Amino acid sequence: MPNENATAPLPVVVFADFICPYSYIALDQMDDLLRDYNIELLWRPHWLHPEVPPSGAPIPAEAATDGRRAQTLAWLKEMAPERSAHMRFPDRIQFSLFAFEALEFAQDHGLALPFKTAVFESLWADGRDIAQFSTLQAAAAKVGLDSEELGRALSAQRYRKRVHDALQLARDAGVTKTPTFVLGRYRIAGWHYYEVFQTVMEKQNVLLRSALDNSSPPAER
Amino acid sequence: MAVQPLCYRPNRIVNEYIVEPSAIPWRQGRVAGITFKCQVLLSGADGGPEALRFRFDPCASVFAHMHLTSQFQLLLQGRMDFPKSTMKLRGPAIHYTDHNFPYGPFAVADSHDMLVLHPKQGGLISMADRDARRQINLKARHLYGAAATAEWTLMTEFAGLRCKPLIPPAAGPCAVMLECPPLSRLNLPPTPYGRYEVVLSGSVSVSGRTLLPPGFRYVRDDSGVVSPLEAGPGGATLMLLAFDRDACEGGLTGEGLSVAAAAAMERAI
Repeated sequence: MPNENATAPLPVVVFADFICPYSYIALDQMDDLLRDYNIELLWRPHWLHPEVPPSGAPIPAEAATDGRRAQTLAWLKEMAPERSAHMRFPDRIQFSLFAFEALEFAQDHGLALPFKTAVFESLWADGRDIAQFSTLQAAAAKVGLDSEELGRALSAQRYRKRVHDALQLARDAGVTKTPTFVLGRYRIAGWHYYEVFQTVMEKQNVLLRSALDNSSPPAER
Repeated sequence: MAVQPLCYRPNRIVNEYIVEPSAIPWRQGRVAGITFKCQVLLSGADGGPEALRFRFDPCASVFAHMHLTSQFQLLLQGRMDFPKSTMKLRGPAIHYTDHNFPYGPFAVADSHDMLVLHPKQGGLISMADRDARRQINLKARHLYGAAATAEWTLMTEFAGLRCKPLIPPAAGPCAVMLECPPLSRLNLPPTPYGRYEVVLSGSVSVSGRTLLPPGFRYVRDDSGVVSPLEAGPGGATLMLLAFDRDACEGGLTGEGLSVAAAAAMERAI
């Protein structure tokens, strides 16, 4: 079925958790998709480890071995050679909820996309703890958000209910894998190749951005 | 490199292949730095099923790839770890993919031993091939299960027979372990899309042949006439692997991607 209104952007939703390495390596793919196609991109939370306290939790012994880490790195290297070259693995499972709240704050200020990238990079490239307000505030400042205001929003749990509603939305949508991509009528569970996303765009007759009059990616909604 | 099955009895009603791996030589293989031993159990060169046995040397990352036909991977022993956190297979375990669906990268270790079972020749496509990625089956199913995590159920209609569904029939393709008492006779249902019946332990007699692990029969029938299996004096444990309609899709058509897939498989084994 063709996209009935070919000039309307196709909604693309990525359900992800900042602590998921496969969500991290999907960053470039989604940025490329937004650059190339007439889509509207939204990152939504899917909380992998709600049982983990704000102080974090030890990585299970079977996953913390050098062998397992080398294995995961080898896989990531095949999937995303550029991103994987600079990845640093945390020594604990981190607490994601504050970062999800900060993402809502960024969305209200029209900067969710660059902010989510900054948070991912704080964890996976810089090796910082995203449960720390200071980490999230630094990421906010990096993309032009008011870091002091973000700190107040986090302290007051201003976005807590909105995040819980978003997490419920992911559950209601049957999301069980991270990342999960909902691209119009298609759903892709788990990381996949960029060419697969291109195929999905073509199957829905999504226009290339170069075919539109205004070829720059849209501002965030 | 066509290897004929030990027993091939084409019939208008039933296609049956009976394979005893112990009679088939091993080959050494090496692809992209990955080393393994391989047996070509059924070549598929006659248009019938393709069955291979692999023993990978320990490897942290076997490259992602796909085949152009449906596939059961039956992990006999050892382990295969996939990126998905719940997909850490320990033999005996089963992994199914529809045609043109990539899987991996994955790690292998611990005396890996696996049967790769296709309803027809499927070739091999590395996912490093960017053009091939455009031909990934977007609606494909990817299923798996392990013997250690499934429960035995007594089959009341067969005295002493127990079954353990690793991939339940409701999924379409199915994988079921059967534990058969000594000398029990098993009349299995029709299988229009093809079924592998692999001996995991004990022994089985079928069509006048005795099969030991991991011997198997592949059968495909359109009418319901399938010769029965009979467990040996020590009983038998079987893995039944039945394809569904996806077995009719894809394959080596001699065009496009399938030419490269056939050549890559030829190089690999």
